[in-house]
Amino acid sequence: MNGELLVFLFLFLVTITGGLLMINLSKVIHMVMALVLTFLGIAGLYVMLSAEFVAVVQVLIYSGAITIIMLFGIMLTKHTEEEPKTSWAKKGIVLTVITAFFFIVFKGIRTMSLGPQADKLHENNTEQVGLMLFTDYVIPFELVSVVLLVALVGAIILAKKDEEGEEQ
Amino acid sequence: MDVVWLIPILPLLSFLIILFTRPNLYRKAGIVGTIFTGAAFGCALLVLFSNFAEGNQLVEANWFSIDSVVLTVGVEVNPLNALMLVIVTLVSFLVHMYSIGYMANDERIATFFGYLGLFTFAMTGLVLSPNLLQLYVFWELVGVCSFLLVGFYFYKPEAKAAAKKAFIVTRIGDIGLLVAIFLLFWQTGSFELDVIFESVLAGDITPSMVTLIAILIFIGAVGKSGQFPLHTWLPDAMEGPTPVSALIHAATMVAAGVYLVAVMYPLFSSSETAMTTVAITGGFTAIFAATIALVQRDIKRILAYSTISQLGYMMLALGAAGYTAGIFHLTTHAFFKALLFLAAGSVIHAVHEQDIFKMGGLRKQLPITAALCLIGCLSISGFPLLAGFFSKDEILASTYADGRYVLFTMALLTAFLTAFYMFRLYFLVFAGNESSKAKESSRIMLIPMFILGVLSVVGGYIQTAWFGTFLGDWLETSPYPITVDHPTAPIWLPISAILLSLAGIGLAWMYAKKLRYGERLNPVHRLLFHKYYIDEFYRVTIVKGTRVIGYFWMYFDRFIIEGGAQALIGLVKRMARAGSDIQSGQVQTYGTVAFSGLVVVLLLIAVIGGYF
Amino acid sequence: MSSIPLSAFLLTALLLFCIGLYGALTKRNAVIVLISIELMLNAVNLNLVAFAKYGVGASIRGQVFSLFTITVAAAEAAVGLAILIALYRNRATVNVDEMNTLKK
Repeated sequence: MNGELLVFLFLFLVTITGGLLMINLSKVIHMVMALVLTFLGIAGLYVMLSAEFVAVVQVLIYSGAITIIMLFGIMLTKHTEEEPKTSWAKKGIVLTVITAFFFIVFKGIRTMSLGPQADKLHENNTEQVGLMLFTDYVIPFELVSVVLLVALVGAIILAKKDEEGEEQ
Repeated sequence: MDVVWLIPILPLLSFLIILFTRPNLYRKAGIVGTIFTGAAFGCALLVLFSNFAEGNQLVEANWFSIDSVVLTVGVEVNPLNALMLVIVTLVSFLVHMYSIGYMANDERIATFFGYLGLFTFAMTGLVLSPNLLQLYVFWELVGVCSFLLVGFYFYKPEAKAAAKKAFIVTRIGDIGLLVAIFLLFWQTGSFELDVIFESVLAGDITPSMVTLIAILIFIGAVGKSGQFPLHTWLPDAMEGPTPVSALIHAATMVAAGVYLVAVMYPLFSSSETAMTTVAITGGFTAIFAATIALVQRDIKRILAYSTISQLGYMMLALGAAGYTAGIFHLTTHAFFKALLFLAAGSVIHAVHEQDIFKMGGLRKQLPITAALCLIGCLSISGFPLLAGFFSKDEILASTYADGRYVLFTMALLTAFLTAFYMFRLYFLVFAGNESSKAKESSRIMLIPMFILGVLSVVGGYIQTAWFGTFLGDWLETSPYPITVDHPTAPIWLPISAILLSLAGIGLAWMYAKKLRYGERLNPVHRLLFHKYYIDEFYRVTIVKGTRVIGYFWMYFDRFIIEGGAQALIGLVKRMARAGSDIQSGQVQTYGTVAFSGLVVVLLLIAVIGGYF
Repeated sequence: MSSIPLSAFLLTALLLFCIGLYGALTKRNAVIVLISIELMLNAVNLNLVAFAKYGVGASIRGQVFSLFTITVAAAEAAVGLAILIALYRNRATVNVDEMNTLKK
């Protein structure tokens, strides 16, 4: 039992607990907060996987931006206090299917090992990411920025009050 | 001969021209149609003579190909279809001409000629087809034309019902043909007739399969040619205009079934069972329809049952290995039955009545029609030296030579019945006192009848025991393996046939006379009276029996089949409702189903891939 | 060198994915469904980064890809929410059960 394992177990617990809380809490705001917990746990796991830059991005984008967007979404829409209940039959079916899926995939990944680890990733991680991003992946990078722009414009158009629609 | 392809194209052109210029043409449509079909007839004659001189011919073009299977379209000329072409175009031409007079007062005369053109196109296309696929296409097309023309007076409910019946009943037979074509393609990988016959003769297809295919094809022929048990549509089809009955339901389309069996003759002749089936069905239909014709009152229905009976005769001939006899009778029958129908049309046109018991004494008012009708009746009855005599004798000889004596007796009996009912019709309509006023038809209607009358007299001399068997020898030059034998009948056979037909005529005369004057029984009329009881007997057994069976099947249909159908409908409805309930429109449900599918696939992979 | 095996990370990701999927398929609130989808995306990202360290030919590329995924996820969240709000304005509900226009 070394320190690394302890850290992993802690982060694992945080992540999964966050997910489970999100499923089980009844207030929407609380759910989003539980989700922040999961996002932070995942960020920690990224650090363990020597991906500091991705971890930071994770905190910024997910724990920050997306959570805020979701909060806005919640605030702009009306919510009953209690999350409306889904029927047990439906939940049961979904649960069965997902459990089956879990076990099939688990069977596959349980003993998975794909050769030696990469051991240079933590050295100047951000520099490595940056180099890769601006050399090999510069075109996808630009494309993704376009995608973001399009999404931004699209989101504005969609959310904008449709005057004619109102009249109809 | 290069004009072959023109033969179907000309009537098609006529159809298209009439279709697009219908409002302007109106009555001139008949002239257009007549000219075009006349030209087609000219081409057909050229083709016929070039076949004498140059032999058979096959022109094919690739239509499309799927992998290694190449489907072709083309035209083929061999003795059989050259003969058919001449018959079809000739009768079509004459019927066109006749219709100019007959349909003159009809509002939709242009439509009528359009349909006739389309039919002629389809029928000639059917005859020219060198492969089964093309044949089937035209086969269905003639069915459609028949439907359109039977239902020409669509405002009459009977005509509407008859058109539907004609379409549906023949469709039952067509399914048999279609399945047979599929089976043949499955077995030989080709729709081409020559390829199919080659592999049949080479024994590539198991005998039981050959029998199955032949019988399925025969089912198609049964539907088209109105053979028992699919004959019911043909009498009802008489609701159509009379020229249509002459063209489609007497001379050409109904003969397509016989033609089909003749085309597929090499296939049939390699299966004894199939031949027997054909012969028995034909023989039974011949006598069965003849007995029904004895009691009918409607002039066109008598002719319709007569047609069924005669088609049965042809089938019997083909089934009894009398290839020549079948084709020969098809030819002569086309002439005299078309003549009889046109004569009937002329009578109907004159008196506006179809019940023969309400007619009488028309000989004086319609002398030419009466004379021509007499020729037709004599010919169909097998009166010596007329066309029907030779072809009927040929059939009787073939059947006798084949050795199926029960069928032979039935055929002989049918000849007698035929003479009786035809002359019953003739005497009731034309003989006796004048009972109604009538005017002779116009010349344009009489000319086609006259031509057919001449052919009904001389048409038999292409194949006689005395002047040579020209038709048989010629048919033997077919590119396909066909065995044409020349059965020699004992001398008593034609003599007994003549005597029987004369007896039939005489009996009919006495019957008509008795009915007309209501004379009491005397020794001669006793026989007639006996005959009358046979009529009654048939009425009781066949009509009542059919009705009892009909009621049984009606209730069977209503409660068991319909009940079953209702149950099925209910089941389908419930399933549909369940299905539409699943389609809730909720994305989550869809997601669940889709993901379940993924899991099932994963599970399969895991199990098959030895994952577990 | 890390002593944590690859399968530990993959298991975490799998669990997260299953939880996200369950949420996406059963929750009635559209916002929560969107959040659950984010969770599933995160699980995938975790796999990417884990394979970047442990995978065949492990290299920095996996991390770069995860960045792309995060970007797309952010765009998706924004558009998704915009659709949600447009829908809310028309139907006055965020209950996915009532969003069944597809049926008609």
